[in-house]
Amino acid sequence: MTRTPPSETPSRRTLLRWGAAGGAGLALSPLAACAGPTGAPGPGTLTLGLNRSLVSLDNKLNQFDAAVTVQRAVRQALTAIGPDMRLTRVLADRFEMTAPTTWSVRLRDGIRYSDGRPVTVDDVATAVRLYGEVAGSFILGLFPELPEVEATGERTFLLHTREPVPILDRLMANILITPAKDNRPEELRSGVGTGPYQVAGANSGAGEYTLARVPDYWGGRPPVEQVRVRFVPEESSRVVALRSGELDVIDTITPDSAEQLTGLPGVHLEQTAGVRICQLFYNFRKPRGHPLADARVRRALTYAIDGESLVRDVLTDSAEQARGVVPLSLQGAERTGSYTYDPSRARQLLRSLGADGLRIKIIWESGEFAADASVMEAVAEMLKDVGVRAALQQFEPGGDILKWRQGKGGDWDVIGNGFPGTTGQATTMLQAMYAGTAEDERTGDAFMGYVIPAIARQLSDAATETDPATRDRKLAAAQHAVWDTWPAMWAFVPKTVLARRARVDGVRLLPINSYDLTAVRLEG
Amino acid sequence: MTKYLARRLGQSLLTVFLTISTVFVLVRLAPGDPAAAYAPPSATTADLERIRAQFGLDKPLVTQYGIFLRDLLNGDLGTSYSFHDSALSVVLDRMPYTITLSLAAIAVTVAVAVPLGVWMARHADTSRELGANVLTITGQSMPDFWTGVMLLTVFAVLLPVLPASGFTSWSGLVLPTVTIAILQLALVSRLVRREMTTALASPYITVARSRGVSERALTWRYALANSSVPLVTAVGTRFAALLNGVVLVEVVFGWPGVGSLVVRALETRDYPLIQATVLVTATLAILVQLLVDLAYPLLDPRVRLGKAA
Amino acid sequence: MSATLTPSASSARSSAVTARHLARATATRQRRSARFKLWAGALCTALVALPVALASLLPLPDPDAQNLAGRRVPPLTDGHLFGTDQLGRDLLSRILHGGQVSLTVGILAVVVSGLIGIAAGSAAGYFGGWIDTVVSRLLEAQMALPLLMMLLLVVALFGPSVTVITCVIAIAQWPEVARLTRSLVLVEREKPYVAAARLLGMRSWSVLGRHVIPNVLRPASLVVLLLLAQAVLLESALSFLGAGPQRPFATWGRIISDGQDYITTSWWLVTLPGLVIALLVVGVNLMGDGLRDRIRTTKTTKPAKGA
Repeated sequence: MTRTPPSETPSRRTLLRWGAAGGAGLALSPLAACAGPTGAPGPGTLTLGLNRSLVSLDNKLNQFDAAVTVQRAVRQALTAIGPDMRLTRVLADRFEMTAPTTWSVRLRDGIRYSDGRPVTVDDVATAVRLYGEVAGSFILGLFPELPEVEATGERTFLLHTREPVPILDRLMANILITPAKDNRPEELRSGVGTGPYQVAGANSGAGEYTLARVPDYWGGRPPVEQVRVRFVPEESSRVVALRSGELDVIDTITPDSAEQLTGLPGVHLEQTAGVRICQLFYNFRKPRGHPLADARVRRALTYAIDGESLVRDVLTDSAEQARGVVPLSLQGAERTGSYTYDPSRARQLLRSLGADGLRIKIIWESGEFAADASVMEAVAEMLKDVGVRAALQQFEPGGDILKWRQGKGGDWDVIGNGFPGTTGQATTMLQAMYAGTAEDERTGDAFMGYVIPAIARQLSDAATETDPATRDRKLAAAQHAVWDTWPAMWAFVPKTVLARRARVDGVRLLPINSYDLTAVRLEG
Repeated sequence: MTKYLARRLGQSLLTVFLTISTVFVLVRLAPGDPAAAYAPPSATTADLERIRAQFGLDKPLVTQYGIFLRDLLNGDLGTSYSFHDSALSVVLDRMPYTITLSLAAIAVTVAVAVPLGVWMARHADTSRELGANVLTITGQSMPDFWTGVMLLTVFAVLLPVLPASGFTSWSGLVLPTVTIAILQLALVSRLVRREMTTALASPYITVARSRGVSERALTWRYALANSSVPLVTAVGTRFAALLNGVVLVEVVFGWPGVGSLVVRALETRDYPLIQATVLVTATLAILVQLLVDLAYPLLDPRVRLGKAA
Repeated sequence: MSATLTPSASSARSSAVTARHLARATATRQRRSARFKLWAGALCTALVALPVALASLLPLPDPDAQNLAGRRVPPLTDGHLFGTDQLGRDLLSRILHGGQVSLTVGILAVVVSGLIGIAAGSAAGYFGGWIDTVVSRLLEAQMALPLLMMLLLVVALFGPSVTVITCVIAIAQWPEVARLTRSLVLVEREKPYVAAARLLGMRSWSVLGRHVIPNVLRPASLVVLLLLAQAVLLESALSFLGAGPQRPFATWGRIISDGQDYITTSWWLVTLPGLVIALLVVGVNLMGDGLRDRIRTTKTTKPAKGA
């Protein structure tokens, strides 16, 4: 080691000091703007913790049920699904079927966007057209066909369809109205709506939004001044943050979170029957002669599943065993039967059908439903008790499972699948799951290979029936027919559960997993 | 010097280019389908094909790569599938959070590890040093995600004094920073200890001591100043490794940085976003490394760049 | 490193250096601390590794046997030493059986990375030239990249099987071995026996394989323990992020990530498996550290920088 020339020392030290100071400055500056002074929400601010990132406040492409609450606070549709699945009119004050394929609609008088522009018929026509132009839209899949808009006056117009769509008024609840000039066939990242709130700040990359009250909202001033939306992906973090008061409301919570939060001071749970059905669906592409191609074997396996214990112990009572082929809270749903646990009967039936020693493969995607892995591991163990060996294959999210679902990825026997009931109508879900045709199946598009022409005919007949009573009767008959094919080894309907701080009042949670933000009040 | 810089820059560019190309091919060869991850469950095969075409995934791999390179030259990394926005800007939006967390972790690590390392050097080979050594090794041996969950349980659940997740206030920075620092402490303190032992045994210290310089000044002003070079190098070299820890810690604490972003990009097979994340982080890590190398001669006049180092 | 004189240990001779002096000498203290680390490390490692290895022989419930009525029973009740998990499975049994997967992956990964690293490092060191350039560039590039991100990518993309995870960890670790081997071979290459072997007409591959590599194997194997510690941590990190082998295989990372949902009610589901990992890794790290210290004190030469 040689000595250091004295003149070098200060310069080096200065350099180090500068480096340290610069580093600290660099570290703190970029976020100084983002960070508030405290983590706790202010007295007039409601903080929501979503577990999925809200990329935008539009719903042309991204749709998950809990987002509806926030989307509707900014952009509104002609109608909405209200309490008890009843239709409420929002931007339209008249929405009537005048002929099987024609609806007459009138816009509410004096409705303006948050920037003062009036709502016009052209805005509606443009919105309907643009929803049809985006690829991969969730909304589009709900519509048998998109209606044509024919303007008849300044506030009135007609909606035409080729075939009767008796639930068009409910489907239109999904089309959000934006000024025609600003609307694009893509997910809108900014812009205004007619809702009670407007966007005051957004960091869509991080999924964070600040919404401020619109001073002259047409429906009356909402009680809560400001709404903050945060994206908190880890379930355990959401629970902890709600406990500490960092968050005011967390939606779509898992059974375990609900259990942890029950009885805590300052925390209340809201729950309602859900509209999502989670099924252990059989593979309907099994060749003739395979045990699972036989409805009797499919039925025998259902006796092996101790659904009561799954619901009680694994799902901690946050779900109900399915008693129909779709959730009973959907309009038009029919109670068709129930799953019974009888392992000795399962063993005996399997033996008599020559299917003992069956080996099956169960597949599912992580996060398909709450506690998915625990349910599957428990089911595998129950099957073992009746002599059926189940292999589990869990897919990480990434779209790989779709190939398998379409029968192009590999062989499987049972799939864990959740299906949403976004429209609140049984017919939408029934059509999507059980009305597959041979033509759909050529591209693997029939739901899990379920192609039973008689049932498909029954369902499409019911879907175009304009008389409500007849429609319900036809739908009910179709559902009984579906149940008798034993499409699922077990199914359950998760309850929609939400947790809120005690200071938040007026959260009226709907089965479609959203609530009206204008009814929410903050106390204290 | 200029020649050295040019060569280093060239090498760095090559590394980044090879990395991004590898990632480009890798994500496309692997199973999974962006269209399927993107489309609603009710999508038909025809819908999926439409989406694939929209993403440009229907073209042959070579064509896709050509387009990618052409856009890359224009500074365009494509549009993120899930964010419907420029992938680069999505990543850059998240970057400040990750950088803040990394720098805070480095700052805390250095602030604790340097005094500790000096202390260990002064008490070299005593049972006290052994104790400190075992303690830091323990810190290094705990899985960082577990340390994070444990800290979270204690400080956000049992004694709710700190926020559990995200970045709403500066106090949210504390737990993730400490988690990373615990992991890094052993390496840095051991390095300081080693360098200090060497420096304290050097002739110039003996000379200074014989001239009556106090032990305190000897340790902190003379020996430590000369140990700073390897320290800076080590911190710079470990920056990439540090980012590893950051990914996990971001996931545990819901920190809105690039670590949690890449986990999500993988889940949705958001190719442009995966590519942009890898490109930006690799560039950052390589840049830090380069800066450290360039800072060498400034920090230590005995070093000349371009010669055998 | 300190250039201490190591006095000869014969205490019978007349000298001013007393036994007390010897006991307080730096070298003695270093040796003592190295020995402590070795023993403490071995103890910690054995405490975890032995039960893991003997998991199937121990009187434990089946790791997959469920009892939905006895879910999340706290430790030390109903014969469950570590309590039960969310499906009423014995946590201790799951940790031990899960440890078999984690340890196997760790050991396999170290073997694979050792093979790759020694091959690439010794070739680079011995032949120099373009091989060295390529290997060194690869090493540098990999050091500079945020590796976990890349590994996550590979596992997510190719599916989480034991083979993929092992390979991924091996890829993460080979630079460590390669760098060390390369520097050792660079020294070894200049030794007379290599020149002699060459003069006798041996081809360079066989010189490298039969003479050089056996000579660097011992010092290179020192890093094995440190790598094993890292491999176990990396494996648990990957399965924590969801990239673990198929269920119902329990791995340490998965037990923790499953248990994370219950931190406010069932502390043991996360705390105990984490402690077990930490105990094992502390043990392995201490042993590795102790071994390194011992080599250092016996050699008193400054070893190649390696963290």
